Amino acid sequence: MTEFSGGPELISDGEAPATATALRLSGLYKVFGSTTAVDHVNLEVPSGSFFGLVGPNGAGKTTALSMAVGLLRPDGGRASIFDHDVWTDPTRAKSLIGVLPDGLSVPERLTGRELLTYTGRLHGLPTSVVTQRAQELLSVLELTDAERTMIIDYSAGMRKKIGLAMALLHGPRLLVLDEPFEAVDPVSASTIRTILGRFVESGGAVVLSSHVMALVEQLCTHVAVITQGRVMAAGDVDSVRGQQSLEQAFMHIVGGGTGGGEGLSWLAS
Amino acid sequence: MAGVLIAMKLRVLSHSLRGGAQVVPLVLGAVFGLMLALVSLLSGLVEFVRPGAAVDLLSALFAVWLIGWVLGPLVSGGADDTLRAEHFKLLPIPPRGLALGLLAASFVGVPAVVTLLAFSGMVVYGAQLGGLPALVGAVFAVLLLFGVVLLSRVLLGAVGALMSSRRGRDLGIIMVTLLAFSGVAFNYAANTLAPAVIEGRATGLISVLHALPSGWGPVAVRAAAAGNWILVFGLGLGLVALIAVLLALYGKLLTRRTTVAVSSGSGPSRTESRRGALRGLLPDTPIGAVTGKELRLWWRDSRRRMMLITGVIIGVVIIVTPRMSAPESQSGGAGMLPYLALFVVAFCCLQAGNLYGFDGSAFWHTLSVPGAVRADVRGRQLAWLLVIGPLAVLLAVALPLITGSPGALVWMFGLLPVLLGAGSGLVLLMSVFAAFPMPDQRKNSNPLSAGGRPGCARGALQLAMGGLLVLVAVPPAALLIAGTVTDSALLRWLAVPVGLAVGAATSWWWGGLAINRLRARGPELLAEVGKTL
Repeated sequence: MTEFSGGPELISDGEAPATATALRLSGLYKVFGSTTAVDHVNLEVPSGSFFGLVGPNGAGKTTALSMAVGLLRPDGGRASIFDHDVWTDPTRAKSLIGVLPDGLSVPERLTGRELLTYTGRLHGLPTSVVTQRAQELLSVLELTDAERTMIIDYSAGMRKKIGLAMALLHGPRLLVLDEPFEAVDPVSASTIRTILGRFVESGGAVVLSSHVMALVEQLCTHVAVITQGRVMAAGDVDSVRGQQSLEQAFMHIVGGGTGGGEGLSWLAS
Repeated sequence: MAGVLIAMKLRVLSHSLRGGAQVVPLVLGAVFGLMLALVSLLSGLVEFVRPGAAVDLLSALFAVWLIGWVLGPLVSGGADDTLRAEHFKLLPIPPRGLALGLLAASFVGVPAVVTLLAFSGMVVYGAQLGGLPALVGAVFAVLLLFGVVLLSRVLLGAVGALMSSRRGRDLGIIMVTLLAFSGVAFNYAANTLAPAVIEGRATGLISVLHALPSGWGPVAVRAAAAGNWILVFGLGLGLVALIAVLLALYGKLLTRRTTVAVSSGSGPSRTESRRGALRGLLPDTPIGAVTGKELRLWWRDSRRRMMLITGVIIGVVIIVTPRMSAPESQSGGAGMLPYLALFVVAFCCLQAGNLYGFDGSAFWHTLSVPGAVRADVRGRQLAWLLVIGPLAVLLAVALPLITGSPGALVWMFGLLPVLLGAGSGLVLLMSVFAAFPMPDQRKNSNPLSAGGRPGCARGALQLAMGGLLVLVAVPPAALLIAGTVTDSALLRWLAVPVGLAVGAATSWWWGGLAINRLRARGPELLAEVGKTL
């Protein structure tokens, strides 16, 4: 166990080589009824990269990420984390990732500290380590004021922050974050950005999904555009956006004309 | 408005019929209800020696249906939540209109149809007396259905509203307790007293049955046959007035429900700092962590408390009420009272058998922590034991002594460990193999709401699972019986170690089955319990 200095210790427990691919999806697909939610997705997230997954609503981002972290069984294809297959070697793979799902519950009737303590001990961390890390995470994420509030009474932004704390607690090498900035106020968003930046600088990898192009453009080193379950473009941000802004490139790739200009004549009459 | 809501309800029903597996419980429930309804319907045909016996019998049966509508959703937690008032709270609809619409929609569905069929027993009875009495029967059948459904909605809404505040919640639980007591006690009374009713002996009960609104219809049919039209119209107007009052109440409740903010259904809103105490007692391991979390949730989550309380209530009711309604000559002994602990354990096991459903999509967390599944299952087993065990042991020791039947003690020592052990396994087996989603605890504050699962199917499943408990109890029970028959204290006391061993082994075995299932099919369970209702 590494010693602590200053803010939360972000990298520690994993033993993966720094050169490996942090996350590799190959031929991943998932069908719900007659809808192909994820259609043979191939993606490589290099270690030390800040990877943005963008796409319209219903593009399959959440489905792909759920399969990548072992929460949803794929109908085909593989997902591996630092070369450990998520579905055949789940113990090793899962010990290397921290997950922040979008819209899922946590044990709602625990306080933030209780939740972190529970999470840490479930991971098998020693109590002293759990206590110290929980304290640091709560104070860095400014959740100490809500010390005795149960999660069920948290605001949307606080839920995101406690979710991020859960994802960071065991010192993962890869963070998989589904919409981490949604409903988060600007101050907290800035805090989260700084934490994630430090995490990547020290060799960890982050995969996040988002609708907000400006944010991805500013934050990420790599980006993949996914629509209708397929990866339409992937690579470092500059190569994907070319000469235009990421938003323009996204519109071009996804092929959506900007709607809202026609019909609705009754609306302002 | 009503038309739109009915169309919505029908559309939801037709969607629920589309999935293959979901049809089965619905059909099973419908068949079961239909059989009950036919009994009531055909009762109208039976000819009795004593004139008026048919009226008394129908009154009694309809009273049971009335009680069923009131208690069914409370006890089984199967309130019909397809359309919720909250869904429409942004629409500019007056409460009365919404109340009428939602009410109309709640007549669409199997229970209302089945009940109408049962109430048609009045028509069948009336037809034997002539055309007009049959017509009166038909009118009263419809009115009664209206009243019964409305009463059910109002009471459920009232209890739900009561439970949306924290202090009110415990009051609500007490109210449900009282209702359950009165209702099931009455049910038992009706069973034992049914012959007396038909023979016209239990005059006091019969006047009560006639006085209940459910009895007004049969009385009116008979009055119509006798030409007593004043009584017919009087009863009809009474029923209409009752419906009007209930309708007004329902509108008020809906207004409240759509305009008052709901609390999150938590226990103590500010958590006590008993963290240290709890942590000191539990091992500093993943299993200890899960146990600690579970204990907190059993205490803080009103839905879980509700399940335990109803488990205890059902046990008490089943044990105590036969004794209350038994004739004087038979109530000399303590009856089954010394054995209450066994029933409490069994019902608390069956009631709690949807642990992952309670937690909903929070199960993702267990899935994403490597190796956490084993700790999760064992920790939940341990927590269930810690919650139920002390109460069960207390009851098991205290009741035989209090009721003066110390001979029951050896039975308790033999059977309780088996039931506790097997129960702690069965809770997890049910939670894993028969999980069903519950409404999102962040949005719904009514602890009685269990989602769209048909109550009958769940009842059947619980019975089947309860059979497993009985099966496991066979070895110690056999020793106890053999010891009693041969009058051998050695054999009887041998049941205690055997019970302990079987209980521990079953707990270990069934927990293991749950662990294997979760390891193999964890994501599928997450998808099932994470569904939004």
